[in-house]
Amino acid sequence: MEKKLSEMDYEEEGTIKGIEKGFREKVAGMGIREGKEVKMMTKQPIKGPVVVEVGRSNTSLGMGLAAKILVEVKR
Amino acid sequence: MSKVLLMGQSNVGKSVLFNRLAGARATVSNYPGTTVDFDKGRMRIEGQDVEIVDIPGSFSLEPKDRAEEVAVKMLEETKGATVVCVIDSSKVERGLYLALEIIEKRHSVIIALNMADVAKDANINVDAERLEEILGVPVVPMVATRGEGLKELVSRIREAVPVEIEGIIKNVGGKSGTSSHS
Amino acid sequence: MWEVKVERALTADERWDLVDKITKEVVKVGAYKPGLRDALASLTVNPWTGIPFAIAVLYGFWTFFGEFAGLFTDGFFVRIFGTHWIPWLSGALEGLPDWLFTILVGDRAVFAEDFVGDPCFAAGGVLTTGLFMPFAVVLWAVIALFLVLAILEDTGYLPRLAVLVDTVLHKIGLHGFAIVPTLVSLGCNVPGVTATRLLETRKQRFMMIALLGVFVPCGAQIGMMEELIPGLIGWVFLTLAIGYLGFGWVLNKIWPGESPEILMDVPPYRAPQWSNILRKTWSRTRHFLMVAVPFVLLGCAIVMVLYATGAMDTIASGLEGFLAAVFGVPADATASLVVGFLRKDLAIGLLPIDAMTNYQVFISVILLTIYFPCLATFAMLLRELNWKEILATLGFLIVTIFVFGGILHLIGLAGGWY
Repeated sequence: MEKKLSEMDYEEEGTIKGIEKGFREKVAGMGIREGKEVKMMTKQPIKGPVVVEVGRSNTSLGMGLAAKILVEVKR
Repeated sequence: MSKVLLMGQSNVGKSVLFNRLAGARATVSNYPGTTVDFDKGRMRIEGQDVEIVDIPGSFSLEPKDRAEEVAVKMLEETKGATVVCVIDSSKVERGLYLALEIIEKRHSVIIALNMADVAKDANINVDAERLEEILGVPVVPMVATRGEGLKELVSRIREAVPVEIEGIIKNVGGKSGTSSHS
Repeated sequence: MWEVKVERALTADERWDLVDKITKEVVKVGAYKPGLRDALASLTVNPWTGIPFAIAVLYGFWTFFGEFAGLFTDGFFVRIFGTHWIPWLSGALEGLPDWLFTILVGDRAVFAEDFVGDPCFAAGGVLTTGLFMPFAVVLWAVIALFLVLAILEDTGYLPRLAVLVDTVLHKIGLHGFAIVPTLVSLGCNVPGVTATRLLETRKQRFMMIALLGVFVPCGAQIGMMEELIPGLIGWVFLTLAIGYLGFGWVLNKIWPGESPEILMDVPPYRAPQWSNILRKTWSRTRHFLMVAVPFVLLGCAIVMVLYATGAMDTIASGLEGFLAAVFGVPADATASLVVGFLRKDLAIGLLPIDAMTNYQVFISVILLTIYFPCLATFAMLLRELNWKEILATLGFLIVTIFVFGGILHLIGLAGGWY
């Protein structure tokens, strides 16, 4: 099932399917790219930022930015 | 050699390495027209006094914020400088991404494969010799917090040279864009 | 090889392809069992466990801050200044004309036999209180703050704290990293203003400078509050926090500009490197000494000139009726409020606390905190902002004093606490 990174639940895992153009280049250097496995590490309440793990690195993104990333979620 | 630039992504131990290299004589400067600060100092390489600049941390040369914009500008403005590219040994993949970008711009690069201790703890083994063969630039494993590898880094800074990205592609067996692998 | 030497830029995808090929040959990843460090790393950024942890850290921070500053200030400098330097100086300079004595040493009444109070705080002269405040009180608060901040940075805790507070701060247009200038300002607003440099946009920097100039009390003020109104400090901080968030929310709505979302690497925890921490602490402290201290001395000199010439009495009596009507503070407190324009820390010490009700003390302390930033902070503000933002900050200050002070006045009246 595909969903936005912002919609993933706590501890849910998946594979990055697509990143919005323009944002894609900005996160490339952080190791966030298509085909990489991603895990939701934490979600803050009231739409606060998320922390995700991609390739042994943790990255924090605001909800709006997380919504620009599409993930195929593991069942 | 005119100048040494220290470049790397955030949290790779760059400021610790800078302190080791520049010692107590460092000063904070402000990049003109911005509020971005960076450290500047001097180090000795083979008896010669050379300026060393700690460029703000940047994940790629495609800037995502103000500090990264300044980092890219500072790199562009100082052609002919030697770039010490600092990589976290436990995160070689994304570190190499930045290193390749700098190499593509034909800067003289030397790679500081920092935080070797962290990689070891995480059971990650990086073959520095093989990496050096592939890239064609010096690769020095080190633990900047303990000063390990520091001497080797300084003694090899002069070996840093610009290299062809095509050569690197050939060294891993293939043309860029194809997925062949020996 | 006869290849033409040109810059050859790869596309992001080609570059990743190459990175993958290289890492495949070079990096071998063995099995890894997450340990205590990893557990701690995720627990401290997870809201249900991370927020209590953050509160514990900040409380520890606060305690250290108080103890460290107290050790140097009360344990050492109060004695040096109170029993040696000030009495000696007042004796040595006794022969000076009144006006000069007032500016350099302070009010002669402080040295009378029947004076009750601490001459370190009360004297007010450039060479007495003027030296005492920056070197004996603020400096140690600032060093304690910078030290803790450097430790939080180098261990990797700061990014996690930033993630936690970003939840609230982004709602008012700021960034999680706004916690840094806020914490620094609790030591001294001057380096606090400098610390806003790590914020991304002009809008965020302007908002942060305006908010910390108004709602964040500095180490000197906090020190005075602890000395004079220990029972009310909790209420003062709560009220200021509400003002910070409330007025931040309003500023975010009316001031144009962007507030980008957080996008940040969260590093693993690491043992800090002490030499690095000390170097950072020292370089920030040095900056504070060079920038802030001259202005503190200048502020002292101006206040004492106003006293010596009698201008202070004229200004105070002119504002008496006005301040009493708007904020409900007694006439005796107006002189202190006027001094507050130049020396906020000193002003708290000048409040006639015994003659006031608790609520009057509370509202006076709040007013002293929120209005005009001290001279040194104001100078920094001139340096860091453009003229439009400076005017806006001043407008914001004036509106805030009256709206916030007025609301508190009304609450006090409604509660019958006057």
